[in-house]
Amino acid sequence: MSTALIDPTLNNTPLPAVPAATPLGARFAAAWAAAGTRCALPVVVLLAAGFLAPLVAIFAYSFAPPRSFEVFRAFTFANYAELFSLENTVWLSFAWSIGFALLTCAVLAVVAYPIAYGMVFLFGRWSSLVSVLFVFPLFVSENVRLYGWVLFFIKNGVLDGSLKWLGLGGAPTVLYTPGVILAGMVYTYLPFMLFPLTLGLSMVPRDLIDAARDLGANRFQIWREVEVPLAMPGILIGMLLTFVLAIGAVSEAKILGGQSVIVISHDIEIAFTYAQNWPLGSALAVLVTAFIGALTLAVFAKLDLDRLLGRR
Amino acid sequence: MTDLKDRKPILQLVGVRKTFNDFAAVEKIDLDIFEGEFFTIVGPSGSGKTTMLRMLAGMEAPSEGNITLHGERINDVPANKRPTCLVFQSLALFPHMSVGQNIEFPLKIKGVDAASRKARALELMAIVRLPASYYGKNVMKCSGGERQRVALARALAYDPEVLFFDEPLSAIDYKLKKVLEKELKDLHRETGKTFIYITHSLEEAMVMSDRIGVMRAGRLVQVGTPEEIYAAPVDRFVSEFVGEVNVIEVTRAGEGWQGVDVPGAFRAAAPHDQPQAHSAFVVIRPEYMRFLKDGEAADNMLEGVVYNEYSLGSRIQYQVRVGEKVMLVELSRANALPAAANRNVRLGWDVADAISVKA
Amino acid sequence: MTINRRSVLKGMAAGGLALAGGPFANVRSAFAARDKELNILCWEGYNSAQVLDPFRKSTGATVKAESLTNDPTMINRLRAGETNVWDLINVNNPWARKIMYPEKLIKPLPRETFEPYFDKMLPQFKAPYKWAMDDSGKELLGMCQRFGPYSFVVNTDKISRKTAEEVGWDLFNDPKLAGRYGILESDDWNVFGLFVVAGIDPFKTHTPDEMAKFEETAKRVFKGAKLIGDIAAMNQALISGEIDLHLTGGTYSVSPARADGYPQMRGITPLKGPMAGGKGGIAWIEVTSLVNNPQLSPLAETFLKYVQQPEVAHTVAFAEGTYNPVAQMGNPACFKLFSKTELEAIQWDSLDEEMARSVAYDIVPDYDQALDLMTAAKRVRG
Repeated sequence: MSTALIDPTLNNTPLPAVPAATPLGARFAAAWAAAGTRCALPVVVLLAAGFLAPLVAIFAYSFAPPRSFEVFRAFTFANYAELFSLENTVWLSFAWSIGFALLTCAVLAVVAYPIAYGMVFLFGRWSSLVSVLFVFPLFVSENVRLYGWVLFFIKNGVLDGSLKWLGLGGAPTVLYTPGVILAGMVYTYLPFMLFPLTLGLSMVPRDLIDAARDLGANRFQIWREVEVPLAMPGILIGMLLTFVLAIGAVSEAKILGGQSVIVISHDIEIAFTYAQNWPLGSALAVLVTAFIGALTLAVFAKLDLDRLLGRR
Repeated sequence: MTDLKDRKPILQLVGVRKTFNDFAAVEKIDLDIFEGEFFTIVGPSGSGKTTMLRMLAGMEAPSEGNITLHGERINDVPANKRPTCLVFQSLALFPHMSVGQNIEFPLKIKGVDAASRKARALELMAIVRLPASYYGKNVMKCSGGERQRVALARALAYDPEVLFFDEPLSAIDYKLKKVLEKELKDLHRETGKTFIYITHSLEEAMVMSDRIGVMRAGRLVQVGTPEEIYAAPVDRFVSEFVGEVNVIEVTRAGEGWQGVDVPGAFRAAAPHDQPQAHSAFVVIRPEYMRFLKDGEAADNMLEGVVYNEYSLGSRIQYQVRVGEKVMLVELSRANALPAAANRNVRLGWDVADAISVKA
Repeated sequence: MTINRRSVLKGMAAGGLALAGGPFANVRSAFAARDKELNILCWEGYNSAQVLDPFRKSTGATVKAESLTNDPTMINRLRAGETNVWDLINVNNPWARKIMYPEKLIKPLPRETFEPYFDKMLPQFKAPYKWAMDDSGKELLGMCQRFGPYSFVVNTDKISRKTAEEVGWDLFNDPKLAGRYGILESDDWNVFGLFVVAGIDPFKTHTPDEMAKFEETAKRVFKGAKLIGDIAAMNQALISGEIDLHLTGGTYSVSPARADGYPQMRGITPLKGPMAGGKGGIAWIEVTSLVNNPQLSPLAETFLKYVQQPEVAHTVAFAEGTYNPVAQMGNPACFKLFSKTELEAIQWDSLDEEMARSVAYDIVPDYDQALDLMTAAKRVRG
């Protein structure tokens, strides 16, 4: 930030009481003098460098000629045209990613809800232990955990070997199939669904559940009429978080699935590595980002953050 | 109110006890509540009244004893299967529903069709004095008093035989509280339902109730009409709970009594439930205590100095220091003591003005 | 074992880095001479502490090495403006003379200083060694060290070495073996492998018919694959019996399994094939070159000399991750450092004949088109 822009006379004179028609330089100086602006500077720089710059670079690259590095120097829609051309099968990868993400969300909602319910209403002082158990795997690299799954399920691995040793004739083949990819994703993203759900359910006052029951509602009616609507912010956040993470998931398909399925992130990765087609990879990344961005905005439009944060 | 003997009990508690781990929240309670009565359970916080209510409403099961409704044991019948309904202290209105939807909730649960639901909701809104225009209003945008009415209408929509109230007026300002107390009393008469009300304010209980049960440390220490509670408190706790009183501890001395914390001999009756008691508390309400004129006599007399006077509106309260103790005297404004400050006075009361309770 | 593979995020970060690399590098060079720092872009191995720590200790320099597992990415890092970041680049043989030198991404080494090292290498590296020289034969473009045959790997308990060498690449055309093989995720090598499975020499410009054949082969071979994965996944699957063989592999990929006590896993070089001279295998030779960095670190040449020392060459051969033969084994002082087990792991017994049956890794002129066809083939296998 350049200090030359500050009017030097302002350093010694107090700011005018009525800021009417102050010159631009003075207004800038006033803003600069505000402690808040200066304190925010590191964050602004960090965001600009770490968040904005890569996004701008990716966006710019997506309009560069295919397989070139002519970023900011040439402009073309060729990459998008290629992605949307009828012969291109990249939509298959999109379909797999969206499909897996939707299924992961759906399965997780069903799996995580009872756990979250237990943590909020039933487990009492044990619920913190339960949360630790669910958080703990996050301390181990995702890939290491997935390799652990491979060792468990692989032929003559932990499961197959143990079953054979017990004379039960070995385990069925699960590795390198779409099913195991889904299972891996459900496992990986469970905490990301569980904790927003827990937050959502903890926003449902106990009194309201008691009141609903007292007014004649059975368990299902309480769930449908009171719990779900009131926990909806948490449910939506959990769904959104899981969906966004799952649509970018690649390790499960590569490690557990043995690349039996190519997901969209893998396509982006190939474009950036073996294909050395950064513009195409960027265009794909922009499409995925736009898709997720639109989805996020749609969800947040329905969501009252004030209520979520307990301000009301 | 008609004679209680003519009434049939609707809810009966027999030896009901509730413990949480080792702590007994409610101890061995026997109580009959009659059809159509307005029964108030009153007690300080922690006295077990909320636990008692939750057992009656079906949100807690008793650890021991039986609760019966029309003679049927209902200990283990869940709240949603009981013909009873609770108005929560928090009101527990559903924040994601409108006023109308809140009131219709129990009807929707029963599967009543939308048109009948709405008709009934509007009927109930009229009964609780909510304008019909509030039907679609966001319940969170209603005022405190309006929310009370919504909660009441919702409970009535369930059409329960017994309505429970868990201190619903505790967070309401004084003036509105008085209005709502009256309305609640009216509603009780109009609906003819059994109301069971919980409060820590005996004043509130006195205004509305047919009978009052006073709870202390998990036990029902006295059950009776407001008049009985007021006139014949069973012990010092109840007497003090009723309002500000003068209490003098006495022990028997021959035919009369000897003061323990106030020196002197006193004339007083024995506690009505313990005629042979060796010691007792003599309770004199401030309004029954009077200043004696020169030469005037009373059954009991004390000398003291006025050191403070408070205006209570139409009445004035005097604090009189008698030895180490402070006694209260209340007079109507018309009979006010002139130049009261630091004045030496004589206090007096007759045996009939005081109550003796067991120690 | 490199468990943590490149992720999309990392790829994206590279984009940002490329953008930021230039200006930052300039700022830095304006402040400090670069005689105490060295940046190496390399295949895994040169970035290991065993190799770098002694060098750091003796020179007191800050040495940064980034390892990547494919050549095109490294070349493109330089193309994207990172020539003023890196001092040394270590990639496979064709890139120096065919791509990087003509594009001025690297600069020549002083011949008189470095050529004598070639005399101590294995016989086939005798100076002037083709892949270390430019087209004119005048300039020395890099130093050689690791190399190895790289065709496919079999479990010789299931398919004998003799059968594998004789049947060669047609194993992957055998319907009976569908579901019994894996594919290593090195996509550039898979392009070569699939051309060869289709009976076509990869290292030439292909006719539309040949491309159609390639596409058909790619679809079929990927469809029949039990799994696609990294080296660790391949070796694990071979050892567990999930697969009996895998496409594109050799000493580089199988040596960790052999060193772990599974000598039945073996890199195979077929006896014959469609490559020039009827050769059946493909081999790679790493060439390490000076980056055309305007502020080249003087330590770059020092490092090149350092890794030629017998002990360091042996360390490089057995750096973490993969184990490979090195050209310096031609020097008895270096060779004697290799134990019998180590020689066994790198298939020393058949190295000469396998190299003789292999052509060197080369540029595929229509690689982009082939890769797109292959990526599409992968997509439709699920």
